[in-house]
Amino acid sequence: MKMRKNLSEMINEIKISDKFKENIVHWHTIEEKEARVKDMPDTLHPALKDALLQRGISQLYTHQKSSFEAASSGESIVAVTPTASGKTLCYNLPILQSIVNDPDSRALYLFPTKALAQDQKAEINEIIEESGLEINSYTYDGDTPANIRQKVRRAGHVVMTNPDMLHSAILPHHTKWVSLFENLKYVVIDELHIYRGVFGSHVANVIRRLRRICRFYGSDPVFICTSATIANPLELAQSLTEKKMKLIDNNGAPSGRKHFVFYNPPIVNKPLNIRRSATLEVRSLAVELLKNKVQTIVFAKSRVRVEILLTYLQELVKHMLGPKAIRGYRGGYLPTERRAIEKGLRSGEIYGVVSTNALELGVDIGQLQVCIMTGYPGSISSSWQQAGRAGRRHSESLVIMVASSNPLDQFIIGHPDYFFNRNPETARINPDNLIILIDHIKCASYELPFSEGERFGTFETEEVLEYLVEERVLHQNGNKFYWMNDAFPAHNVSLRSASQENVVIIDQSDVAHVKVIGEMDRFSAMTLLHDEAIYLHQGVQYQVEYLDWEEKKAFVREVAVDYYTDANLAVELKVLEQDRAKQAVLGEVGFGDVSVTAMATIFKKIKFDTHENIGSGPISLPEEELHTSAAWLSIDEIGLQFEQERLEQGLIGTAHALKHIVPLFVMCDPSDVHVVPQVRAVHNEQPTIFFYDKYPGGIGLSEKVFEGIDTIMKEARRMVERCLCESGCPSCIGTDPSSSTAKRDVLKIFARYDKGDYIVY
Amino acid sequence: MSIKNKLNRLKSHIVHQEKEPAQIEKKIQPSAAEMPYKQQWKEAGVKPYYLDDAFCLVREVYFPLDYQHGHYKFSDLIHAVSAWNRKEISHPLSSKGHKPNDLFFFDTETTGLGGGAGNTIFLLGHASLTESGVVLKQHILPNPGGEVALYKSFLESIDYTTMVTYNGKAFDWPQVKTRHTLIREHLPKLPPFGHFDLYHAARRMWKHRLERTKLSIVEKEVLGIERKDDIPGFLAPMIYFDFVESKNPEGMLGIMKHNEVDILSLISLYTHLSFQLLGLDQKQSERETFETGRWFAALGEREAAKEKFTKVSGGNSFDAYKGMHALAFEYKKQKEWLQAIPLWETVIAKGDLKEQLEASIELAKIYEHRQIDFNKAIFYTEKAENIFNGNLQLKRGNINLENIAKRKARLTKRINREEKIRHID
Repeated sequence: MKMRKNLSEMINEIKISDKFKENIVHWHTIEEKEARVKDMPDTLHPALKDALLQRGISQLYTHQKSSFEAASSGESIVAVTPTASGKTLCYNLPILQSIVNDPDSRALYLFPTKALAQDQKAEINEIIEESGLEINSYTYDGDTPANIRQKVRRAGHVVMTNPDMLHSAILPHHTKWVSLFENLKYVVIDELHIYRGVFGSHVANVIRRLRRICRFYGSDPVFICTSATIANPLELAQSLTEKKMKLIDNNGAPSGRKHFVFYNPPIVNKPLNIRRSATLEVRSLAVELLKNKVQTIVFAKSRVRVEILLTYLQELVKHMLGPKAIRGYRGGYLPTERRAIEKGLRSGEIYGVVSTNALELGVDIGQLQVCIMTGYPGSISSSWQQAGRAGRRHSESLVIMVASSNPLDQFIIGHPDYFFNRNPETARINPDNLIILIDHIKCASYELPFSEGERFGTFETEEVLEYLVEERVLHQNGNKFYWMNDAFPAHNVSLRSASQENVVIIDQSDVAHVKVIGEMDRFSAMTLLHDEAIYLHQGVQYQVEYLDWEEKKAFVREVAVDYYTDANLAVELKVLEQDRAKQAVLGEVGFGDVSVTAMATIFKKIKFDTHENIGSGPISLPEEELHTSAAWLSIDEIGLQFEQERLEQGLIGTAHALKHIVPLFVMCDPSDVHVVPQVRAVHNEQPTIFFYDKYPGGIGLSEKVFEGIDTIMKEARRMVERCLCESGCPSCIGTDPSSSTAKRDVLKIFARYDKGDYIVY
Repeated sequence: MSIKNKLNRLKSHIVHQEKEPAQIEKKIQPSAAEMPYKQQWKEAGVKPYYLDDAFCLVREVYFPLDYQHGHYKFSDLIHAVSAWNRKEISHPLSSKGHKPNDLFFFDTETTGLGGGAGNTIFLLGHASLTESGVVLKQHILPNPGGEVALYKSFLESIDYTTMVTYNGKAFDWPQVKTRHTLIREHLPKLPPFGHFDLYHAARRMWKHRLERTKLSIVEKEVLGIERKDDIPGFLAPMIYFDFVESKNPEGMLGIMKHNEVDILSLISLYTHLSFQLLGLDQKQSERETFETGRWFAALGEREAAKEKFTKVSGGNSFDAYKGMHALAFEYKKQKEWLQAIPLWETVIAKGDLKEQLEASIELAKIYEHRQIDFNKAIFYTEKAENIFNGNLQLKRGNINLENIAKRKARLTKRINREEKIRHID
């Protein structure tokens, strides 16, 4: 009779079993950490002290105390708070105390999602109830019933909402929120690190609008931000709020012992340096753990991977744990579905979750013991966020990172020191991206007319206002610019996605009960929801029968097939204007504005398990156009003296290597910067590699590439040089180059770049 | 590259919910003194109203008391108000305690729909009675900088406690509050206001025969008002934006005319609704009488409701049976069971299916609990069951097969028990 093993037995087994130990390339143990605490502040109201005591809190962690002191004295702060460090007290305590001091004062809490706001409302209400103080806290979101909205506006001391709601429902109706804006003392921005890239740039503008309205009503709130570990929390908080901030990073919370395992799947094809699939490896690790009822979370990078893993795991443990014990969790699910999963995790009815990074957010799912990552999540801070999902409550935990064959993963797994010692990523925003900015200047004009010479945050508005007058959206009268349009601008601006219209996914398996099962943004839909695509939802396969691109609807029907689909996207690039340039020996490096057209061309059917290609078909969708900023590297062919074929192959290989190194050095998600080789670029007729920002107008990533191109080229060269394969493999230059000289040629290109200086002009 | 050039390049990515730009002209910022098109304004009876260095426009028009607007003369309003004053009845439209010239009929024109901060009111119009006739006043915003003058001029000339509007509770007044908030440091505080909102009244009265109860439709179908060359309200924002650019009053004069008719119609509509409620309209249809009765019933005005229902229930139209059915419910509420029984018996014989079903259940209840006649009660329960079985879609409230079956079972048990007792006796 086999006994169930507990976590430490499982840890030992993984360490010594033949099946796994060969593949463990690094075992890093983070020892447990003692708590560092301080006495309760004297100024804290006795009722609040009592309420905390009832919850077993008699002292504060060092960072909580520092936060209280700074925020109470009117300083805006950003507190760096890892998972399970009691971050909510960092803002709840000074704010509740301020309301005790002055019952008129108000606070606004911003959470990135509705679910987080609901969680936090429950938490603050417990303290309020136990303290017996007369303080009202409400959530305000799309679900708030109309009859209590008025009460929230008038009497809510603490209003918890999300940036989208602030943007489209609160700010444009600020005249109905007079008592909030006149008395606003604190604004909380929880999960600050989420506000990066396009979303962060939007939110920074929403905060400009918020502060502008506060000024109108005579308030100037203190900001309290909390952030996961990133390299630049202070800089991010300051550029998001345009306020001077104090950094609080003396985390005093204890943490349990954590094992961090780097796991590299075995090589299955020596000459090609191909490793066993990470997905399959994760499957066998997860099954081993789940069989022993060790609560495990598995992260995968894409929606498709989540669904594939889910299908595998549910099948394998179906008889042992029942089909409902393992669930998927990702962005495309409907809210009710997600709530049910969160609940099942907390109550322990669900043993395993397979998730995309949707769960990186601080939704409280209770204790999980093991976290397995399918591939490197793309950034160091994401890795730590995901790792934090295991052992939240101070117990021993295990994190396994299973590398895939891609160069970035292989780089990380080969350099554990780099991973453990390097600063986590920098979060970047560009609030002055013109496309984002102009949307918010419109919204701001709707809210209050601009005056001549008025700045929008730190942005000089003159030219934009003039442009909007010419477009007849604004009307200048005297020194003011008035909104002169019958539209409600906030309704046309979404903070989350570049493309406004999502594609709705409609299941018509049961003709009598056609239902919507999810939605997807337009760009992803081109490659995931085209006709005949296999779409996976909660482990169920659907085939797309018809994608109505005009109406943005995909009609799907349940099927059972043994393959999934993968589509190609053909991309064309044109340089519109060159802003900066420098000359290297290899060729010219440029930066400027480009136009990108993308078209989905064909899709492949790929068999489960073996991952072999078993068929293909065309995709007929119109092309999508994108104007953005880009950096590029042109190659002077004469210097290189390659014949056409080798040049092409070399270019593809070089681009592949660069594509995986760029996110490391620009510190962004791999999907934020695209790297595309062109044998003959339209603007200079030279072979060129482009690096472009995926969002219209750019968010500053490709400019970073332009500036750091030397380091990027050097690191990419080192990566290819060190790769063990003979003539190219997925871990260096990819498998697309077909010539046997490709790897050598790529190295030649890199070498030539490295030669000598360049001239800036 | 300049920001403007960049914006032009990125145009395709910028969301365009706004209208296409027309040709660009240099904007002019006139003061009242050099107001263009002075002559046209003067002919239309429009004068500037100055406040410091800003101004708005004000138009005043008089109509004689015997002016016929649709089926009514404005003097009929005097009858309506004095009739309310004679009546001992409380009703949201009652002007008891007021004189006819206390009422302010009010309507606005705005630059957009919905209630956001950026939706500007560019025309505030109101009318009230004087000894000699109706005075209609419109305050017009000549450019967006003139809002302080606009509201000052408006607030000086109106009594907030007795406004009559069409959906003003939900739209016009909150919007006035919003705009007031934006410039409140320059204006007196906005006091709370009393309000007669005719929109909800019109919905109650005529929902049964009008597909939509927009003012323009009620006017035409109910009040007999015909508009000539009217500018539809949805064009108002476009016309106003054009006016702000070009200063040419032509389009604005059309909107002012539209607003004027709206306001005058409110006078006729208030008169008509009052006559309806007070039973003074000779041409009132049975259905209208019935609806006024329902309204009184909903307000708890039992006697007034009974009077209306009694009036309708005389005939033998479908509306008459509706009236009887409603009247029976009024008797039930006042525990006058014996009065209700014959009414419901008639309804069962002649009313529509829904009423038959409800009446059967009601009679079953009366015979079970009040008259203690279980055989009759079971008779009506079975009747309900039969009606229901034939038309399952009739299900309403807690009338369903399950409840009917429960009642039947209970009654059967009680009958059996009585039988037994009788047997023993």
